[in-house]
Amino acid sequence: MPLRGKPTTEAEKIVFRHEAELPPMTRSMGTVLINKTGSWRYLRPVYEEKTPPCRDACPAGIDIQGFVDMLARGEPLEAWRLIRESSPLPGVCGRVCPHPCERSCNRGEFDEAISIHALERLAADRALNEGVGEEPRAPKEEERVAIIGSGPAGLSCAHFLGREGYGVTVFEALPRPGGMLRVGIPEYRLPRTVLDKEIADIEALGVSFQTGARIGDIGELADYDAIFVATGAHKSRSLNIPGEDAAGVIPGVEFLKNLNLGGKNQAGERVLVVGGGNTAIDAARSALRLGARTTIVYRRTREEMPAIEEEIEAALAEGVDILYLATPRMALVKDGRVAQVGLIKTELAEPDETGRRRPVEVAGSEFMIEADTVITALGEAPDLSFLPEHAGLSEEPREIDGTPVFGGGDAFTGAGTVVHAIASGRRGARAIISRLAGAGVAHEPPGPVVPFESVNTACFARQPAVRMPEVPVAERVSGFAEVNRGLPLTDGLEEAKRCFSCGVCNLCDNCLIFCPDIAVIRLNDSYEIDYDYCKGCGICAVECPGNVISLVEEER
Amino acid sequence: MKKVITGNHAVSYGAMLARAQVIAAYPITPQTTIVEHLADFTADGQLDARFINVESEHSAMAASVGASAAGARAFTASSSHGLALMHEMLHVAAGSRLPIVMANVNRALGTNWNLWADQTDSLSQRDTGWLQFYCESNQEALDTVIQAYRVSEQVLVPSMICLDAFFISHTAEIVDIPDKALVDSYLPECNLVYRLDPANPCTLYGVTSAEFYYEFRYKLHKAMEDAIRVAREADDEFREMFGRSYGLVEQYRMEDAELVLVTSGTAASTSRLVIDELRERGERVGMLRIRMFRPFPAEEIRNALRGAQRVAVMDRNMSPGQGGIMAQELRSALCNTPDRPPVYGFVVGLGGRDITTDVVHRVIEEALATDIPEDIIWMGVKV
Amino acid sequence: MSIEIPREEYLFSGHTGCPGCGAVLAMRHVLKGLGDKTVVAIPACCWSIIAGAFPYATLNVPLMHCAFETGAATAAGIKAALEIRGDTETTVLAWAGDGGTFDIGLQALSGAAERNDDIIFICYDNEAYMNTGIQRSSATPWKTWTSTTPANTPKETPKKDIVATMMAHHIPYIATGSVAYPADLIAKVRKAKEIRGTKFIHILIPCPPGWRHPSELTIKIARLAVLSRVFPLYEIEDGNHRVTVEPDDTRVSEYLKLQGRFRHLDETDIEVIQANVDREWSRIECLSA
Repeated sequence: MPLRGKPTTEAEKIVFRHEAELPPMTRSMGTVLINKTGSWRYLRPVYEEKTPPCRDACPAGIDIQGFVDMLARGEPLEAWRLIRESSPLPGVCGRVCPHPCERSCNRGEFDEAISIHALERLAADRALNEGVGEEPRAPKEEERVAIIGSGPAGLSCAHFLGREGYGVTVFEALPRPGGMLRVGIPEYRLPRTVLDKEIADIEALGVSFQTGARIGDIGELADYDAIFVATGAHKSRSLNIPGEDAAGVIPGVEFLKNLNLGGKNQAGERVLVVGGGNTAIDAARSALRLGARTTIVYRRTREEMPAIEEEIEAALAEGVDILYLATPRMALVKDGRVAQVGLIKTELAEPDETGRRRPVEVAGSEFMIEADTVITALGEAPDLSFLPEHAGLSEEPREIDGTPVFGGGDAFTGAGTVVHAIASGRRGARAIISRLAGAGVAHEPPGPVVPFESVNTACFARQPAVRMPEVPVAERVSGFAEVNRGLPLTDGLEEAKRCFSCGVCNLCDNCLIFCPDIAVIRLNDSYEIDYDYCKGCGICAVECPGNVISLVEEER
Repeated sequence: MKKVITGNHAVSYGAMLARAQVIAAYPITPQTTIVEHLADFTADGQLDARFINVESEHSAMAASVGASAAGARAFTASSSHGLALMHEMLHVAAGSRLPIVMANVNRALGTNWNLWADQTDSLSQRDTGWLQFYCESNQEALDTVIQAYRVSEQVLVPSMICLDAFFISHTAEIVDIPDKALVDSYLPECNLVYRLDPANPCTLYGVTSAEFYYEFRYKLHKAMEDAIRVAREADDEFREMFGRSYGLVEQYRMEDAELVLVTSGTAASTSRLVIDELRERGERVGMLRIRMFRPFPAEEIRNALRGAQRVAVMDRNMSPGQGGIMAQELRSALCNTPDRPPVYGFVVGLGGRDITTDVVHRVIEEALATDIPEDIIWMGVKV
Repeated sequence: MSIEIPREEYLFSGHTGCPGCGAVLAMRHVLKGLGDKTVVAIPACCWSIIAGAFPYATLNVPLMHCAFETGAATAAGIKAALEIRGDTETTVLAWAGDGGTFDIGLQALSGAAERNDDIIFICYDNEAYMNTGIQRSSATPWKTWTSTTPANTPKETPKKDIVATMMAHHIPYIATGSVAYPADLIAKVRKAKEIRGTKFIHILIPCPPGWRHPSELTIKIARLAVLSRVFPLYEIEDGNHRVTVEPDDTRVSEYLKLQGRFRHLDETDIEVIQANVDREWSRIECLSA
């Protein structure tokens, strides 16, 4: 710290033995550094990083504040690298994640949440556009791990094992890797170049993919030292109504898989999609793009719809009709194909075990809708028939024929989002490494989550969030090109600066600037409190924008 | 160069020749013409100074304190109520050990408003820690300004030069205005070690506890004591260079004097005539003029009064309830001396009442006629 | 918040300012703005103590203590001395509390301002005689508790309008400042440094013991004063007003309720204060338009 003069750093009391040693008047001869005012303190400020609510809300535990901060500093590639510490699929998640982080973002209570989702995509897209990826390397560990399923859970597990040098083979029944990412999510939401790039990054870690390789029996993999089962949930739940077996009634997952693997157009002219989740919306918007008049029928209201809010908005904007509070009772078949669907109105009763209000049919409210295609999207279930009966597999490992087998992803957690699957894959990788290395993997417990009330919002000016621009409706419904355009870099970097940095010091200097005792010392990338002089006034703790500084009682 | 000028004008010449650098002043009769002349000197370039037309005497001294603290040679002038208003700042200037020089034209204090000569204004500032010189003539007023800077800057104590209202301030007489170069060689450039200097930051005049306050007061007193020697040297050197000197006290026809008349200011000139007249008649009378009042040159006075049978003090000032202030000081200086003479304390000439030769005669007669003096002898009061 | 605050420090730790003292922060930021070519004159005020007892100093620029009523006159003398000695660069800062500005120091300040002496006079206003134990000053707001205006008979008159007083002197620069807005304060101090003549800056200083608030709220309260328009931040350059920090919709009650000195106020009192603040703000806003 530049200082003029000679501060009494080694402050020593100035002693006068004789009046002649005194100046004629009270002229200073040293500095007040002699006074160790730290002895006045009864509360001690400490830098104690806490968990930002975004990170807390992220199933994959991505260091969101960290990567946003890197963007704010203009380092998108560093942001990308940081995300990959927790998730191998930033480009995918930046597009299809339902981003619970944004709902938890403290800034949302101030003005608008940070566009974390868009920023994640921005970081990934920079890596993609600049050709930055994982450097190829070969496995270094002797142990080999088989992963069944190349969906997000499998990919995630492969990534985290590959990074640690394990030999990993991923078995995929379909012709291309990616699982639901490839066959479930329409291309207008997730361009395949993005998925391919992120799979390539995993491959670069020495992970090999065997596609078109359906594992009929787990015994086929007895040579491996560990097996991770992540086969996902591809079996659509049925409607259980008369006429369900007729032609034109298609499970949503099947419809999307066929479409995404380049099969024949299964949508007719008049499509009815049953369900309110993301599969329903994906199917409806895809059918619309194939030229069908499309209606979604959902038995609750929009409020209860589990699909991502922005997806619902987009579907409506594109011209998908949504019929709320109705449920199919029967499919009327004509010439072997569905022609009409009989529905009944519902109303909402008391909440059920999921917390959502239970729909009950309204007697006598039946009505009919024309439809030559009915796509069912009532949720998906796993098919684990290749496992021995009663394997009882879960995320907890089981020995099957002497090989430890771990489970993960939708097949076992049922959570149904990419980010949950990624988290599950990482947990699996961690468990496998613990097992193979014979040692637990250290896992720091997260600190307390920063509540909105602890943020010093006075440090921030209200400023709306930047949103990703969209391709105009008329243009986008004519094909499967990506709907959302990414954020321009400059907008993204500005958006990143809106982050409150809850619980994490971003070197804003407030503690330094507002310390009346000049007791906060700035180091290269942190601060230090000089407890010799800090009087414990607590201003730093109050003025810290992100609640990083805590006050603890001084021990006396 | 000789000129016929008033005492106030002579003081202005003294400040100009001393190259005062900052002048902060506020008008008050009968001081005003001092700073008017200095404003002219500054305006016409004879004096390179900053002139601050402050809004009160208090600020005049505050600005002088600031200027002196920053290392400049500061000058101001005041009188009577103006000086009284400065009282707080006189302590500040002295405690801060700032060698400010101020001219005070002795004028009576109100209420019962009066513009004329009376020394009570400056004498009631005797405990503020300022050197005090009382001048008898216009020439002495000029010379004392120059000497005062020399003494003050050596001992780091401010100086007050006192001159009787109108008798000096507004009366013109011949004054020899010294050569500027000669004054420069007598009075070196102001170079204060303890000052506000951005290149060498320090905090000045801050608080201090009983642990040190006592020592700072002691050191101020010691500097005062030192001023006696320094002032004597300065006066001696002045004589060598300019051919004039005044002493700390002036002894006039004191040889074998049985009665010594103690005076100050212009009363000394009148007294001189009476002493001459009485000496002509063979009476053993002499005069002691007190020029330096602070520090009180007690030892020099005691020596001068050795052998005197009676001491008659003429005070153109009065401390109500006690009497003439110089008489008190003199009694105090003598009281521990064996065979000390009685001190007759005459209060004379208050508020500008003339001290005529007749008054001086009556003072001497009274002193000679009374064996045991009263504490206060009122001379000429209408009773 | 992105503020460019100079890294240089001109204060030493170890001063005896109370925990959470706003007056210390104000000095710290002002000196960051003025730099090392600065001489400070401090009349009697809290800073007489904070600046360090002999033989120790808190500041790393030259400082002189002066008598209570003499801040401006002393500074004028210093400036004259520096100039005549050939130093025309150094800024002379008179640093006074509200007593040394609004009350006992007003005459000397008025004199210096009328002469347009080339000094910066900063009043750090904690709205009472804090150093002597919270006695009311003419800077104390209406209805405030102080040790000489007890809660059952709080101050009956409004705070003196010192900015208007200084405006009446036609000085080239007047500004208000806040410890909660250091960048704003530093910018104003720097501007003042470049202007010749008398510059007056009025800084509102929350005082934890005197205002009866917890020490950690000093900055928060200072900020609320600005945002609620109790103490708007603006500057007056050659008579032209400019608001430098826009307030928001914060009500005065938000500011008042954090301070024990206003605890006795009732709803009606607060309404009156709000109305006064609104009226004064519209005047400033009007002048700034």
